[in-house]
Order: sequence, then structure tokens, then C-alpha cells
Amino acid sequence: MTAVKLPRRRREIGKGGWRHTAGAAVVALIYFFPVLWIILTAFKTRTDALAIPPKLFFSPTLENFKSVFFRQSITAGSSQETEFLLYFFNSIFIAGTSVLAALIVGTLAAYAFSRHPLKGNDTYLFIILTTRMMPPIVVIIPIFLMFRITGLAGSYWGIILLYTAFNIPFSVWLVKSFFDELNPEIEDAARMDGATERRVFFGMCLPQIYAGLAATFVFGLILTWNEFLFALLLTGVDTRTVPVAMARTMGGEVGVDYGLLAAIVTLFLIPIFFVTFLLQNQLLRGVTFGTVKR
Amino acid sequence: MATLELTDVERHFGPVRALDGMSFDVADGEFFCILGPSSSGKTTTLRAIAGLEKLAGGRIVMDGRDITDAPVQGRDMAMIFQTFALYPHLTIRQNLAYPLKRAGIGGAETRRRVGEIAELLRVVHTLDRKPPTLSGGEQQRVAIGRAIVRRPKLLLLDEPLTNLDAKLRHDMRAEFKRLHRELGTTMLYATPDQLEALTMGQRVAVIENGRVVQIDTPRALYARPADRYVAGMVGAPAMNLIDGRTRSEGSNTVVDLPFGKVDASGLGVPAGQDVVFGIRPHDITLAATSPDDGGMTLRAKVHLTEPLGDVTVIDLDVRGTTLKMVLREEVAARLKTGEDLSIRLGGADGHLFMKETGVRIA
Repeated sequence: MTAVKLPRRRREIGKGGWRHTAGAAVVALIYFFPVLWIILTAFKTRTDALAIPPKLFFSPTLENFKSVFFRQSITAGSSQETEFLLYFFNSIFIAGTSVLAALIVGTLAAYAFSRHPLKGNDTYLFIILTTRMMPPIVVIIPIFLMFRITGLAGSYWGIILLYTAFNIPFSVWLVKSFFDELNPEIEDAARMDGATERRVFFGMCLPQIYAGLAATFVFGLILTWNEFLFALLLTGVDTRTVPVAMARTMGGEVGVDYGLLAAIVTLFLIPIFFVTFLLQNQLLRGVTFGTVKR
Repeated sequence: MATLELTDVERHFGPVRALDGMSFDVADGEFFCILGPSSSGKTTTLRAIAGLEKLAGGRIVMDGRDITDAPVQGRDMAMIFQTFALYPHLTIRQNLAYPLKRAGIGGAETRRRVGEIAELLRVVHTLDRKPPTLSGGEQQRVAIGRAIVRRPKLLLLDEPLTNLDAKLRHDMRAEFKRLHRELGTTMLYATPDQLEALTMGQRVAVIENGRVVQIDTPRALYARPADRYVAGMVGAPAMNLIDGRTRSEGSNTVVDLPFGKVDASGLGVPAGQDVVFGIRPHDITLAATSPDDGGMTLRAKVHLTEPLGDVTVIDLDVRGTTLKMVLREEVAARLKTGEDLSIRLGGADGHLFMKETGVRIA
């Protein structure tokens, strides 16, 4: 029998006592350490970055960040503007558009799967998921050839289409689980109150799973944001994303410039940090959705 | 207000016949109860009337108009769901206004009616809060408010008290009766609780496996249950049902029971028939304090007592058969477990059913 009231447990900060708090802080630091190290390295000079033993205290420099956008070329001699501004735009545009598109398509599909099941519903859901069961590299050759023939290779729409397609299964499954958790009597009540099917979907179902949609969006965004393989093979000079561009700064005449790489990564983290922080509250509710039995 | 007729309504879930020829009529302005255990088809019946279920057959007519295939929207009925089904992302004010908004009623009128309803149901203080922050009773009243704010012709109530605690349930029963009197709306009330059905319904339909077993007033259901199923369902504690067998005794027919025999002459039952004898716990009395009305007097041993406050239910052991009786608390308090008693089964109070079919003989 479904109980009506959710027992609400209020979380009180600091109730865990200093011992547990300190323990949690240590564990958190261990997880955060690689990220912290990257950020620190971004502010180091080349010598500091390569120093052994590693330096924890040093005089910070913004030189690395400057050279992300303006770089001294050995052959040209003068400082030259790099294309990184474009690459950052590409990353944001491509990941944002494709994850949003996948979320929209996925939500519609998930609603259909959840509320209007077909004969063999589970089979279709399973088939949708099979595309995520193999490593992407398996399909890279056919996809590469298809993109070459259709002229999609190197274009924005090509890579957006691909990322959208790769995000849809994940969106469908996740969002379906959120729809499944809703009390269908609420939708019936809305229908009896005179709501059309469209209103039931937009006015009743969607608002109840905003948190879940936010969580799905962030997870998809992180996956897509960091994607390297497809971006490497299927983007062109103008549509290159940051991970690909980053890889191209390695090697060359001067070997690996760790400070520069760290600066790019640091900048690369900011948009994701920002989105995650913005949706933090929704995210927490989203990932715990359905773990509390109504 | 509205009349409602269901004729042979069928709803199947795969091989399961949730509604199997469900038929009944509801009169204009009636408070009609549907009584049955869980999964007997109560909810499905209400949902079918609301248009939320796809029927495999039968007709539903409201106010003389066939609504069997009409869309859910615009049937001019409202439903109170077992889970209340309040819109969790809307405030109570928005919840109450929702049916009016969908019906295209203007802002001023909506505000007035929402205010009125909130006043009537004492939820004014919750208007700007959201449903999950309300207590069970408040949620219940909001659910009622949302159902009646549009003034539907027919109100469907699906076990609306199941999720409430006992005290609140008692108060709400009175509340529903009051609402029915004030609104005059035809009400269909589904419940597994015989007490709710008997106290509120003007007529009660007892259903089993998706079909009606008996439709009658609460009084008639209690006094003359149409079969063994209804007999066991209506009345608390439940009727004592004892297996027996008919036998000819001279020109009379009697029923042999484990602890004696009762007369069954003139009922048209042949000898050698398996039957079930029923007697309500309230119809068993202490022999010492009741007049001899020609009933059966028996020796019994007190097996167990369940004090309910004003009365006590007593389990008696009568030669290996368990019978329940009800005594006033002050009488029962003097009884000890294992004590021997002399009890009387009222002569005119017995019920007799066919064992095989359960159908009432007398």
C-alpha cells in the first residue's frame, strides 16, 4: 500500500561530529587531488612544473593561460593568436546541442515507453541499449566511411548528430525510470479534470521530473564533453573540440608543455563545474529519485 | 446530480476478468457503496465509469446518455483517488483551481470558488503550500475539494479513507455524509470496509470477482445476506458459519451440526444436502440472562476474549467448534478463560446456505 506522506529527514550539517567530518574531508581530498594538481600546474612555470621533488609552494604565473590563446611560435618568432577560442566554442556548442537534442528525443521516447507500452516493450528497450554495449571504436570505421560519403565528416551537424545518437539510449533509459516512478493516478486525475494528453505530459509529468531531467542532462554533458575518439576522427579544422585540440599541442618541436596542457584543462573544467554547480540541488534529487519508496 | 446504469461491463487484463458482467443502477442523488475485498474489481469499476479503462464489453449510461466510448475529459464526473493524487508540483490553491481552469472558468470566479471550498473543508491555511507538506487528513480534504470544486454531477470515491488513521477515518465518514447532504451529488463509494459501506451507503453493492453478488440497503444486507459470501463480508465480527448436513426426521427436515441440530422444515431442502448454518455473534446470548425463545441452548467453554472497550468478542469452544459471541464489557469482565458457560442460539436468528453454491436457503 502506498503511504501518502514522505518521511522527511532533515540533514543537519555538522551532526556527524568532527571525527567523521575530518575523515570525509581526507577522502574528498584524495579524490580531488588529481584535479587540484592540474590546477596548480596551470599556474607554474615550465621549470616549476617539471621540478623534482614536486613543488607545492611556488610563485604563480598566468603565462600558461596567456599562451593558450597567444602562442610564441619558434618558426614565426612573434606571438600569434591560437584557435582555442573557437575550440572552446565548438566544445560548448556541440556538447550542449547534442545532449539537449538527445534529452528531448529521449524524454519523448521514454514517456511513450513508460505510458504507452508496445508489444515487446522490453525487447525494444533492450535493443536501444545494445548500441552502448560495445566500445565505440568498434563502429568507428563504418561511421567514418558513412560520414565521408554523406559529407557529414568535419561538419558541426555531423558530430552533433553522432553525439545525439549516442546519448539517446542513455537518456531514454534514465528518463523512463523517472516516469515509471510517478503515480499514474495523478495523470488520471488531470484527465478527469479536463486536461488533454498534451497538457498531461507538459503540465503534469514533466514538472514532476525536472530533477531527473537535470541529472540526465549533466551526465550526458560530462560524457560528451570529454569524448575524444569520435571528435578526433570526425571533426574538421573549424569544428575541432578542445580534447582534440589539446592532444595536438603535445609533441611538436618543444615536447610536452605541461603548464600549457594544465591551463587548457583548467579552462576546460570551468563550464562543466558551472553547470554542475548550477544544477547541484536538482542533481542530488535526480540521482536519488526512486530510491525512496513512496 | 445524475443517474448511472452499468450493463454487463467487461474489463479483461489478459486472462483475468477484472470486471465480469458488472451491472447495477444508481439513482439520482444516491450515496451508493461498492463493497468488496481487494482485487474484487472496485477500483476497476470506478475507473471504467470514469473512462480510464478500455472496456471489452457492456454499456455505461449516465443521465440517459451512452458514455461507454466517450473521452475521459468532459464526462462531468470527478474522482477521489486512493492515493489522493494531488498535483505535487502545484500549490494547494493551484490544485483546487485546476479543474476550473481546464473548464475555462474565469479568474475571479475561480478565486471565489477556491476560497469557498477551502473554507468549507478547512484548508485555508494550506493554500500556498505544496501537497507533500500537508498531513494525511489535509491532503484528503484537498482531494475532496478538488473533486467537488467543479460541481460534477457524479462523484467517484476510491477507498478514500484507506490511507488515513482510525480516528480520522471516523471523522471523515461523517464528513462524507454531510457533504452528500449538502451537495446532493450522486456518489459512488468503493471500499473494502463493511463498516464504511454500512454506515454511509443508502444502498450497497457487494461484489466478488468482478460481478455483483447482492445490491440492497445496509439493513437488508445484514438481515438477509443473499449468500454465504455476503454473510461473511457484512457485519463485524463476522457471522459464525458452521458446516452441516440435512436429514429427515419423521415428517421434519433437520440440519445436523457438530453440536446439535436445527429445524429446517418447510424450506424445500432435500435430505442429505450439505449446507452451511450461519448465526451472527450478536444473536448468541447467555442462557441465564435471555428468555427461552425456542432456540438452542448449549454448553460452551470460553476460549479467548478480545476486549474492544464497550463490548468484548468472545471465542467459544462448543464441542470442538469455535463460535464467536459479543458481550457487554461489564458482563464479559467476569468471565475467565476456560470457564464453562450456557449459551443460547436465538431460534429465529439462524441463516442457512447451500454449501456448494453458497446461495441462501433461509
